[in-house]
Amino acid sequence: MRLLLIILSTILAILGVAMSILPFGSIALIPIVLSFVFGLIAFKMANKEGKSVTLIKVIFFLIIIATGLTIYNTFQPNEIVEDSESVENEKISDEDMEELESIEIED
Amino acid sequence: MQRLIFTLLFFIAFLVQSQNNAIGTDEKLVFTASYNMSGLLTDLAQVTMETSTVKTSKSTLMRLKCKARTYSKWDSYFKINDLYESYVNPNSLKPYLYKRDINEGGYYKFMQYNYNHKTNSVKSLKRKRRKDGTFWDEKTNLSINPNTMDLVSTLYHIRNLDIHKAKIGSADTFAILLDNKESNIKVTLMGTETIDTNIGKKECYKLAISMNDNTILEGEANNVLWLTADANKIPVYAKFKIAVGNGELRIQSATGLKH
Repeated sequence: MRLLLIILSTILAILGVAMSILPFGSIALIPIVLSFVFGLIAFKMANKEGKSVTLIKVIFFLIIIATGLTIYNTFQPNEIVEDSESVENEKISDEDMEELESIEIED
Repeated sequence: MQRLIFTLLFFIAFLVQSQNNAIGTDEKLVFTASYNMSGLLTDLAQVTMETSTVKTSKSTLMRLKCKARTYSKWDSYFKINDLYESYVNPNSLKPYLYKRDINEGGYYKFMQYNYNHKTNSVKSLKRKRRKDGTFWDEKTNLSINPNTMDLVSTLYHIRNLDIHKAKIGSADTFAILLDNKESNIKVTLMGTETIDTNIGKKECYKLAISMNDNTILEGEANNVLWLTADANKIPVYAKFKIAVGNGELRIQSATGLKH
């Protein structure tokens, strides 16, 4: 049971780190919180059974890094990069104007 | 005499109904599109809806421009750069030219509809990009129903409806041309609701939107649109169901409003 919790916690912590690097925003908190819960249970069980907690400490370290990155990313402003191609594309081209000139609207 | 008055009233009522009462000619609405998973949001893209006037030698048209652009943080992974345009009659919002230019993570598609309302037909042009970077065109002539519109003009047309006269639970169906196919979009008034938005606390009409023969908008109440219950009928919030989780559209700013 303890081993299963450690495996789950490790996978979720790695997923949390990956999602916190990618622009997932606060959604990255889902694997982070789950990893922390599983890690905490595994930590208590290991303490009770007198087993090593080194790996669990590594998991907690990953969780701290992932949480920090997620919080940092969440407060980053949303920006749009305006490239010249898009700006040009949005303008009414001569070809479009020709099409529009042929339109006669009915009231 | 009574018949004459009735005919006159009917004609006036028809004229009033077909007039654009909600959309200004220099309006700009900015939205944030987000993905919602278990209540946690991640902002994906900025959606802008703009109107402007286009004058030609023969007529004056209204240009309805909608664009969706992913935030720069997403651009390296999946860049979306979509542009939807519709050139409509400024009074009746009847479309004359529709253009859809989509760029989604390397996928490109361009659609153009030239409406001929006299013959109830549409000249359609579909342009796609091959793997080697070259383009291929497909031109089609389509027959449409007299009231068939495009996606953009339908959206603006919904805003122009006399919703205050509608009863809760009442529905209206609109024909739209999507990918060279006519589909029916059903709009149902679910009620009114006061919600907090970035442009203030607004009393809104809550509308359920469904498209029966299309997989984009499935379900009766999965896709809901909140329009302000005032003369502008601004779409301030929208919720739509997607494969995993929900999508949301929240207003950021509204300028150039008619009222």
